Amino acid sequence: MRNILEWTCLLLLVATPRTNSHSPPEKPTLTSCRSPEKETFTCWWQPGSDGGLPTTYALYYRKENTDAVYECPDYFTAGENSCFFNKNDTSIWVNYNITVVATNRLGSTFSDPVDIDVVYIVQPNSPENVSLTVMEDKGWPFLRVAWEPPPKADTRSGWITLVYEIRIRLEGENEWVIHVAGQQKLFNIFSLRSGGLYLVQVRCKPDHGFWSEWSSPSHIRFPDYFHREKSTWIVITVFCAFMVLTISWLLRMNGHRSLKHYLLPPVPGPKIKGFNQQLLKNGKSEDVFSALVVSDFPPMSSPNYEDLLVEYLEVYVPDEQEVKSKELHGGCFKSESSTSDSDSGRGSCDSHTLLMDKCGPSNGNDDHPMGPEDQVGGRDWENGLDAKEDMSGLDVGRVKTWPSVFSPLPTSASSLLNQPISRELTKHHCLSESMFCTQGVLGPEFSLCSAQLAIPQLIESRSDFNIHKLYVEKDRVTEDTSAILQPFVPQERDYSKVRRVGSGNMLLLQRVLERGPDACEEKSNSAGTNVKTPSVCLHSAIQGQKHIVLATSGYVDTTAMGLMPTY
Amino acid sequence: MTRGYFAVLTLLHLALRVRSAPICTFGARCHVPTLADVFERVIQQSSRMHSISSDLHAEFEQDSYPSRKQAGKWKCHTHDILAPGDKKNAQSLGREELTQVILELLGAWMDPLLQLHQSMRQQQEEDQGPHSSNVALEMSDVIQELRAGVLKMADKMKLLGVLSGNTVAPAPPEGALHLSASNKRGAASPVDHNELLHCLRRDSDKVKNYLRILQCSMLPGLEC
Repeated sequence: MRNILEWTCLLLLVATPRTNSHSPPEKPTLTSCRSPEKETFTCWWQPGSDGGLPTTYALYYRKENTDAVYECPDYFTAGENSCFFNKNDTSIWVNYNITVVATNRLGSTFSDPVDIDVVYIVQPNSPENVSLTVMEDKGWPFLRVAWEPPPKADTRSGWITLVYEIRIRLEGENEWVIHVAGQQKLFNIFSLRSGGLYLVQVRCKPDHGFWSEWSSPSHIRFPDYFHREKSTWIVITVFCAFMVLTISWLLRMNGHRSLKHYLLPPVPGPKIKGFNQQLLKNGKSEDVFSALVVSDFPPMSSPNYEDLLVEYLEVYVPDEQEVKSKELHGGCFKSESSTSDSDSGRGSCDSHTLLMDKCGPSNGNDDHPMGPEDQVGGRDWENGLDAKEDMSGLDVGRVKTWPSVFSPLPTSASSLLNQPISRELTKHHCLSESMFCTQGVLGPEFSLCSAQLAIPQLIESRSDFNIHKLYVEKDRVTEDTSAILQPFVPQERDYSKVRRVGSGNMLLLQRVLERGPDACEEKSNSAGTNVKTPSVCLHSAIQGQKHIVLATSGYVDTTAMGLMPTY
Repeated sequence: MTRGYFAVLTLLHLALRVRSAPICTFGARCHVPTLADVFERVIQQSSRMHSISSDLHAEFEQDSYPSRKQAGKWKCHTHDILAPGDKKNAQSLGREELTQVILELLGAWMDPLLQLHQSMRQQQEEDQGPHSSNVALEMSDVIQELRAGVLKMADKMKLLGVLSGNTVAPAPPEGALHLSASNKRGAASPVDHNELLHCLRRDSDKVKNYLRILQCSMLPGLEC
């Protein structure tokens, strides 16, 4: 019921023709004033409701600090509800106070006044003649955008200064990329996609003012260009693939093993030339010993020094020691080699004692004077070496066996092997050797104390009364031939210790004297070889040493007294 | 209020650094700046001046009460200077006159800025606000620099023969200040500051525009 009433009332209200409720016009509003070139300007207003009567609008303005009020000179040029101020009526840096009046029969209404300074309302037109050109820079294409300022803006005289902005996008995409061009009228854009279709627009702005509208879009298709960089990568990839294929093919052809061994060489295990390790495993000592005997000593042809391991032998012993020495050597060889390590601090003596322990009860090896057999062997040995050395006329006074735990023994020395080993001797040797090792004077070769040793030359120094035993090591690392000479010093013997073999095959000997410490001296060889000043005087715990430099081409007879324990 | 001042301070520091250092002290081969260089620098300085004054004005406008804006019954003290108000007049003036106008404008602002600085400082002491008066002081330095730069430019132009030698740098007009009498030491109203800054902003824009006109008339190039 109530709803029907409401609806009826509403209908009546709407249907009743309204009586003209005329009223004065509503207040108009000045919407904006703009100047396109800082020489003229236009103001627009928005009329309010006209109050039902025909309403006219008028614009009045007043300039700064003057009381005169002027009316708008031109209502038409700029369209409806506008006022256009031409050049004559426009003054820059002058405050305009503008008001719009709406008038109808019933009254007039003034708008709110607006103060403007033309300088701050400049909004130019869009730039014109936007031209796009594709240019090349060292083979790489880029886009050059050029344009002209809006025609009415007088930038040439400097009256107005414009700054420009460009925006560009690919057709089909939504994001514009904006570039700020400053005051210049051309701009280069790089890194555009080859073959893409681009849209470009430009706009401008005076220093204090508003941005113009964007110019109408210009289209350009970027050319396809060959991507040189990509082609290089293609070539490189193909080449690499080819190389990989070649290498893999080679691998297969040559066998897996050889390349692997080339790249990752296996650590060489201990190896005796011509020795079948299976024999050791079998455990028969006779077989072992016979295998240990190598038939190619002394080397008649040029030996491979790296493979030739020579030990110096001192042989004293009676026959009964022979077996023990054999056992010592044979049975313990393996263990020796297995216990060898790179610890240079420890001499072979440590391993030697280890060796002794492992090998079972070691027999007391007594010193025994060398029998003539030894001498023969020594001589043979010497003869064998004569091919290298020009020493002659020297006799082997004594040859002593050295615990040859490191090497296969030469043939002539095999007989020496059969000689018994004096335990004290070995001890002496050990001591001296360990001394050497711990002294470490000669550097890395001492690390080889308990490792393999290569002795390229055997140097025997002799005197009338003694045998000088030399023990030469070859430094594998530096290829220098260093002679570590271990003078075994029996009581009444005079031994020289060869300290070093220098370049030019020079021997640097150390002479041990019983008496107090001596400065290093030179002593020329009795054989009349070159004397070389030792550069280093080796002072060690050994007192009273002298250095004697000898040519390696001869045997050296020296006498040196020294007590092993003094080492 | 502080924000604008700090921004202005940095701008002024930049402006001050443009101070010309003696470049040919040891008789080495000097780079003598060309007219284009001088113009460039001078216009840069005027741009700075204008931006600083705009910022100052904007800051003050926020603080001053809005009714003042509508009255508009104040005159800038430089309105006596015949600065061309449109393009035609500006172009009809010769280069010499234009330069003269520029120098007059710059000269007219030296003292007022100092006064502004003083009054701002006083106001600041009363309000115990941040040190914004330093800006006005540095602003005066900027204007002095600019004036010196324009003089240098004028000399160069005379040397090059593009300017007749009649231009004399006018002394800053004394007492030609239309600031209200209350602007003596003591009472300082923010209204005066507003007027002053408004005028300053306008005049700096005029200077910039005139310099640009001079530049484009002397050195037409890509930039004009």
